[in-house]
Amino acid sequence: MRIHRQIRPILAALRSHRAAVVLLMLEIALTMAVLGNLVFIVYGTIQRSHEPTGVAESEIGLIQSIGVIGQDNPGTVAGNLAAMRAAPGVADAAYGSLPLWWVDHNPLFLDASRQHPALHAYEFQGSQHLNSTLGLRVVQGHDFDDGELPDAMDVYMGKATAPIPALLTESLARRLYPDGSALGRILYDGTHGLRVIGIVDHLRGELTGSAGDDDSLVYEYHVSTQDVGGGFLVRSQPGRLPEALHAAAAALQKANPGHVQNKLYTMAELREGYFRSSLAAGRMLVAIIVILLVVTALGVSGLASFWVQQRRRQIGMRRALGATRGDIRHYFQAENFLIVTGGVLLGVLFAYALNLFLMQRFELPHLPAHYLLVGAVALWLLGQLAVLGPALRASNVPPVVATRSV
Amino acid sequence: MFGYYLDLALHSFRRTPVLAGLMTLAIALGIGASITMLAVLHNLSGNPLPGRSDALFHPQVDPRPADLPGAKDEPPDDLSYLDAVNLYQLGVAPRRALMSSNWLPVRKDAQDSPLAMVTDRATTADFFAMFGVPFIYGSAWSAQDDASHAQVVVLSRAMNQQLFGGEDSVGRNLVIATKTFRVAGVVDDWNPQPRFYDLNDGAFGKAEQMYLPFFTWLDLPQDYGYGPMDCWGNDPNAGMHDPKAQQCTWAQFWVQLDTPAQVAGYRAALVQYSAQQHRLGRFQRPPNVRLAGLVDWLDYKRVIPVTVRMQTWIAFGVLLICMVNTVGLMVAKFLRKSGEIGVRRALGASRRMVFLQCLVEAGVVGVAGGLLGLPLAWLGLWMVRQQPVSFAASARFDPSMLGAALALAVLSALAAGVWPALRASRVAPALQVKSL
Repeated sequence: MRIHRQIRPILAALRSHRAAVVLLMLEIALTMAVLGNLVFIVYGTIQRSHEPTGVAESEIGLIQSIGVIGQDNPGTVAGNLAAMRAAPGVADAAYGSLPLWWVDHNPLFLDASRQHPALHAYEFQGSQHLNSTLGLRVVQGHDFDDGELPDAMDVYMGKATAPIPALLTESLARRLYPDGSALGRILYDGTHGLRVIGIVDHLRGELTGSAGDDDSLVYEYHVSTQDVGGGFLVRSQPGRLPEALHAAAAALQKANPGHVQNKLYTMAELREGYFRSSLAAGRMLVAIIVILLVVTALGVSGLASFWVQQRRRQIGMRRALGATRGDIRHYFQAENFLIVTGGVLLGVLFAYALNLFLMQRFELPHLPAHYLLVGAVALWLLGQLAVLGPALRASNVPPVVATRSV
Repeated sequence: MFGYYLDLALHSFRRTPVLAGLMTLAIALGIGASITMLAVLHNLSGNPLPGRSDALFHPQVDPRPADLPGAKDEPPDDLSYLDAVNLYQLGVAPRRALMSSNWLPVRKDAQDSPLAMVTDRATTADFFAMFGVPFIYGSAWSAQDDASHAQVVVLSRAMNQQLFGGEDSVGRNLVIATKTFRVAGVVDDWNPQPRFYDLNDGAFGKAEQMYLPFFTWLDLPQDYGYGPMDCWGNDPNAGMHDPKAQQCTWAQFWVQLDTPAQVAGYRAALVQYSAQQHRLGRFQRPPNVRLAGLVDWLDYKRVIPVTVRMQTWIAFGVLLICMVNTVGLMVAKFLRKSGEIGVRRALGASRRMVFLQCLVEAGVVGVAGGLLGLPLAWLGLWMVRQQPVSFAASARFDPSMLGAALALAVLSALAAGVWPALRASRVAPALQVKSL
């Protein structure tokens, strides 16, 4: 192929511009290092913002209802939940924790002496029906049986006598009991003993991107005549969340005139709020990526046009000696490809070095290799795009230039 | 000579407008990005109370058990209930303010007026004078009100607007957590950033909607929380039903100390207090006290958000890349002038003079890049302000940043120009003149 035969003269020509070529490669390498890491950060944030929590998010809403102490209030939790369930569009309701809103992250212990925490996990706790309201999938063992739930006041006061039935996520069960014997085992949090009755597939308390997000357990307690404030969860019938949430809120307010109803949220709103600032930071990084690409493209095309201008006579001579316009264009394109390739190879080193620095300073995860591949392809394309103008201008140099002296 | 070089530089700018334009644009983009982040960083790490900060101090004592696994040497940020009350009564400082925060149900003192949860700061009388909080109506409550647990409240401007339509509400009544409180004053918008006096909820948050006397607030029903409470040991219920639990810290405390002698005296008093508590058996550790000034306290707490620190690093990475880019273009630009330089050298210009001439040209690129970078930085800050982040309001353009931007632009262009200029000055005159 013709391009093939051009490589040797290109290399020879580049050697006489060593300084500029090295600088261009350096710039491309630095761009690649920053680009790879930034794309990694931005893409990681976007991915995280779509990670499911394991609950039926599109059908769950939250009513934050706060009791005013000392104010007469006829409502009871059991009455509140019954009123909410009777509201149109509501499939189920419960009182308790919700991912991305409020859930305790507590140490867990394998024995009652509680000397050494085995690990920290998210502890979801709430009234009867918490599990069915969240819509968790029990994959092993069995779901809560209303008859075996402890009384709410015993749980609040830390007086539950028997271990409380609990569901573990597969991830938590595997980490606590690697041999797979989780069912029926007893473990302990700071206050209670917990008996594993079943395993659910996923339940993430928060979405931080760490593997521990999916280490969660759930237990329910039986509420009846207490009056407590906090998070009341609504599970709507499919597609009816907005009306169900408002209807449930109205029913709750009617049953509970002594409560302040502070806020209503759908799970989608909670998720939006949870990721708002990381996605905003991501947008800033995208702006920086664009600046970087523009600057690199400017550098590449600036040097290329300089070279084209400098070599007008040589180009004219080649044209006079029979080279086609395509040959000239290909020459500059091939030259650019070689330089960018050199930069990309150096860039791999830089990218890993930068990643190590960011890992140390900002606890970022390891940069996977395919980001570098994407970065390399992006820079090859960018280089070809940037050199296209100068290369076309070079191919338009008429052969007659060769016959003129400067 | 400088004037002549400047002429030459401008002339060369006109002769190669594309190359010069590209260099300018590269520097401008790098300056725009890094000045944007520098301005954000500068505003976030600014002094929240200039003029007062030198006299404000944050006392800490260490009531933790001697053998707390994983404990740092630094004492807890906040005070436990007992230490808070004891230090408040110590009375060595000219002014002091004890405080914490939560939210409370509030309604107007009228039939059927709606309830709302309102954020509050519970504090003592000196808070307003010590931090210079401006009043629109009325005034702060008195030390006597603190002592007698008076039911008085100071509203923020926004809260007063919401509850009373912005009129002078001094003397009106509010029902806060079922108790009746009298409005003592309304303060103007006051929200120093970073919110140094209580960093537990983040350094760049909103100000509270109302202020209550600390000891009156403690008498209110217990279940609305006590700021971010930090307890040690394995009991997850610690402090939940008893804020006076010994192992829980949740109160912030600030003192005003006007002279070095007062600072030394207060430090000694803290040590003495810790030693006394140690003798009483309440403190297990030997005296471990801190008395950080406001600025040192902010440094210690590292209030700059991690994303801002990371973006600043990245912005300077961009500037570096822009500089490498400029070096490459300058090498090309000066190479193109080889003939001209050869003539100058042949006519007697020394290498040093050629070097200086090239540097002046680089400096001109820097000035142009800086001037173009300023509007870019302004645009960048506008972008930051559109972000839904807590510190967005702090992303303003500070006039002191103008100078910084130009200086940074000229410095980076000069740094980028040194090596190309050195190369240019080594041009062999004879060779170049011959090829003309």
